[in-house]
Amino acid sequence: MFKVGSKLFLGLTGFAALTLVAYLIFVERLALGGVALSVVFAVLVGLSAVIIMINDGDSEVQPRDVSLVRASMWPLVTVVGFVLLILGLVVAQVYFIFGIVVVLAALTEWLVQAWSESASDDAAHNESARRRLLHPIEFPVIATLGLGVIIFAFSRIMLAISKSAGAVAFIVLSSLVLLVGAIVALRPALKSALVSGICVAGAVGIVVGGIAGQGAGLRTELAEAAAEGHFLHRECGEEKSKYFDKKAMKTISLRTNPVAIVELRGGVLSAIMTGFNEPQKIVSVPRGNPVTFIFRNFDDAERRMVASLGTAMAAGAETSTEKEGHSDSNETCTQLIPQGAEQALTVTYAKPSIAQEDPLTLTVPGVTGQAIEVVVP
Amino acid sequence: MNHRSSNETPAVGRLSVARVKARRFGQCALVATGAIALLGSCATNAPQDTWQPKGPNAKMIDDLQQPVFAVAGIIGIIVSVAVAYVIWRYKDRGQPIPEQTHGKPALEITLTVIPALILAVVGVFTFRVIFDLARTDDTQLVINVTGQQWWWEYDYPVQNEWGITQPIISSGQLVMPAGTKVLLRETSRDVIHSYWIPALNGKRDAVPGRIHTLRLEADEPGIYAGQCTEFCGLSHANMRMEAVALSKEDFARWIANQQAAYQAPAEGTLAKEGEAVFLNQCVRCHQVDGLKRPDGTLAIAAPDENVWSGAAPNLTKLMTRNTFAGAMFDLLRDACRDDVWKADSAEFGVKYLAGVDEACLNVNDLRAWLRNAPEVKPMYANPALLTETNGKYRGMPNLGLSESDIDKLVAYLLTLK
Repeated sequence: MFKVGSKLFLGLTGFAALTLVAYLIFVERLALGGVALSVVFAVLVGLSAVIIMINDGDSEVQPRDVSLVRASMWPLVTVVGFVLLILGLVVAQVYFIFGIVVVLAALTEWLVQAWSESASDDAAHNESARRRLLHPIEFPVIATLGLGVIIFAFSRIMLAISKSAGAVAFIVLSSLVLLVGAIVALRPALKSALVSGICVAGAVGIVVGGIAGQGAGLRTELAEAAAEGHFLHRECGEEKSKYFDKKAMKTISLRTNPVAIVELRGGVLSAIMTGFNEPQKIVSVPRGNPVTFIFRNFDDAERRMVASLGTAMAAGAETSTEKEGHSDSNETCTQLIPQGAEQALTVTYAKPSIAQEDPLTLTVPGVTGQAIEVVVP
Repeated sequence: MNHRSSNETPAVGRLSVARVKARRFGQCALVATGAIALLGSCATNAPQDTWQPKGPNAKMIDDLQQPVFAVAGIIGIIVSVAVAYVIWRYKDRGQPIPEQTHGKPALEITLTVIPALILAVVGVFTFRVIFDLARTDDTQLVINVTGQQWWWEYDYPVQNEWGITQPIISSGQLVMPAGTKVLLRETSRDVIHSYWIPALNGKRDAVPGRIHTLRLEADEPGIYAGQCTEFCGLSHANMRMEAVALSKEDFARWIANQQAAYQAPAEGTLAKEGEAVFLNQCVRCHQVDGLKRPDGTLAIAAPDENVWSGAAPNLTKLMTRNTFAGAMFDLLRDACRDDVWKADSAEFGVKYLAGVDEACLNVNDLRAWLRNAPEVKPMYANPALLTETNGKYRGMPNLGLSESDIDKLVAYLLTLK
């Protein structure tokens, strides 16, 4: 009744059903993995139905020429996939998902190889049929994985070496790529084995470098910055963070259409606003709406701009400083920025100025007698 | 002989009758469409007519679009006539297919160069207008404009040269001096809106987190109508605005009045009771500058806690405006409104500055609004259904006011002048 192909697909469908049930019971219900397994199961049901309907394509099982059957690694890989899959049920979901991917890929390869080896009595033709079917899948997948490994390895190198060395590494690597590309373009008759050898050597070099970089760990300041957690807090008084990129927002003003550009120049703080021909000392901003100020420091020393948020803030509202663990503060600020740099500061004033005990201001610590008043109508 | 009865129609005859009917229907539809377009262009009450500029910025656009339309129209007619001629002249009449040729370089180059030249000329003048309209360095008065669903807020930053010594905040009507280069600094509190007073300038989007500028200047005192032109939600069509141009003297009077201190209603009056209702109900969202609670503390509205956009119209000096509810409704009865809108330039300022009194108040619309706002203006104002906004309204909710409370509130609002 059922031929070989039908039996195989029915078996796979049954296996998929068992896996789905096991996943739902032992791992997690209503998770992405369950959805994926359900899709796999549904697809296999459909394929089984089709293959039974067409009676295995009316194929007749021919006596096979054993000499046409090649050695295959796919049974071994499939077993590894199953091991991962079962391990994932106990240890972690990621192994389970990885196991599914390995099993599916290995089964696909195995099935197609087995099918191609019985396609005809001509081994070359069989191999050609296999390639025609699988190469459109294999090449993009292998290329993606290979590039992913190389990019990951390169990133490990860049995170391990110093900033200066990183720039040099970039220049050297891009120059080498350009050089090899130019040679290949100028000498099209170059042996493909040589080109392949160069590419493989380069890739292996990067991967080895990446392994070494991973072993060496992050460069000092990155490791210290990560331990410091400076992205999670900001001080408006004395700077406690040592590592941050002071020029990170240098060109942000080109894109934000700020409510005002606050400049510190010659010890004088002033607000430049479109439409006002003279620098202003009062900035009017709408209530309950995020507004962006740009702070530009032309002073010799590193400076920051501090915005007072007022004593009356929205009930239950989280200010930016509260989010950063400074709930006792009613001010927020830019980071310390050097001469010539600028940073954006986005502030929301939930309550009007008349609700505040003191005027809302923009000030720069260390610069006395200078303040921009923020008026919230 | 086989005779048909007189009411039997041959199949071919029926077909031709159907064709004739279809053709007549098509002709009627064509004529009707043309008539609607023609009659539409004859409308006299068309306050948002883009072809009637009332200020230099709108005139710049008009001066550009008139010749461009003329040139485009002439080219359109030439092309249409040529296409019609070719269709008629070379209609398939069974004649043999003419000799097929490929390419006529001279003709192709000519037909490429001429449109390119026309577009280049149009481009030069267009760029000039764009840059002129983007100027901000000659600004004489700055007004901040903030859009939100579905109304516009205007606040006037401190500008001592205009007598603005403290910020003024208003909504519904943008009041500005005539003959003055006004710069709007636009932003939005929620979604993208677009500010457009056709008689005074083109459109400019109000985008959250960004400040966009728009020049306005009116030649003469008067009211100029506008409309939000970026779809912004349920009541987008009801998000209107009016720009009111006053003479400089009248504008100075308006400024002075807007900065005048709050006058509480007299004790024992209906308006005083209305003030209490306002403090109980309305002040949750609406600010009236200077209004104090019975304990003497300033009443501070908290729209940030109740409204999704974080703001509700400031009702200080409400009765100096002619509109409410995002300029969807008039505060003036029709007769009084016409009296202001149709006043000549010399009288306009006096009539506008008179504001709204009891005799002219459009009490029906105001009462309907206070009774159940979402019923008269579509809004997402049922907090029970607003899970995505944590129960915050988009627009004004139904406060469930009694008729007695509405009487008191109307009396109180009439004092806000």
